[in-house]
Amino acid sequence: MSIDAIQPLGAISPLSSVMNTTGTSGSSADPAAGMQFGNMVAQGLQKLQDVQNTADNLAVEAATGRLTDVHDYIIAATQASLATSLTVAVRNKALDAFNEIMRMQA
Amino acid sequence: MTIFGAIGIAGTGVTVYRKWLDAVSDNIANINDAVPTSGQAFRARYVQAQAVHYGDGEGGVRVAGTALGDPKGRLVYEPDNPLADREGYVKYPDIDLGSQMTQLIMAQRAYQANLTVVDRAKDQYQAAIQVGKG
Repeated sequence: MSIDAIQPLGAISPLSSVMNTTGTSGSSADPAAGMQFGNMVAQGLQKLQDVQNTADNLAVEAATGRLTDVHDYIIAATQASLATSLTVAVRNKALDAFNEIMRMQA
Repeated sequence: MTIFGAIGIAGTGVTVYRKWLDAVSDNIANINDAVPTSGQAFRARYVQAQAVHYGDGEGGVRVAGTALGDPKGRLVYEPDNPLADREGYVKYPDIDLGSQMTQLIMAQRAYQANLTVVDRAKDQYQAAIQVGKG
């Protein structure tokens, strides 16, 4: 159950520079800010995939009898579950924000 | 794995105490190994835990190595034992069962404590993810 890798969307900029867009001068659509959010999402998905892969590998080890520590798999599965919940929560928040903007009257 | 740090760190603790339980189990299993006085008695295994240097994003604990007990053991007078020497002595490992049982309880409780940390940390992270929902 592997997820295809997400291609990076462009150069990765430091996250702190997102704060710069809160100035009033940046009220027009800033393509850089969009790219940075895209990068954040891509990085988050990459991390999620890493965690899922770890849990999957340990599950295979458990099934084939090569697993030495039972808790290793349980902890990896817990982390994968938490990472998935976090990703879904971020996605829902972003979608809510988008819908809120779409509902705005001109 | 810094995003769920507490879970990973507690996981290293669980691994260390699993190894400690293995060592105690080995010591108790071999507590009655008789050997001739010319041989070496079973050497008790003692797990040495060490902190992983904190600050480089790692944290946690690991097993630095195992120390071995005294191979001289203790001499027991058992003239009927086929392994006994001319004076009727055999050698037993110098392991105290009471001390091993104490270590067993310590290792077991610490194992449970680390698993509790994993569980509580999971609850905390889930609570953080739930913020603003509904």
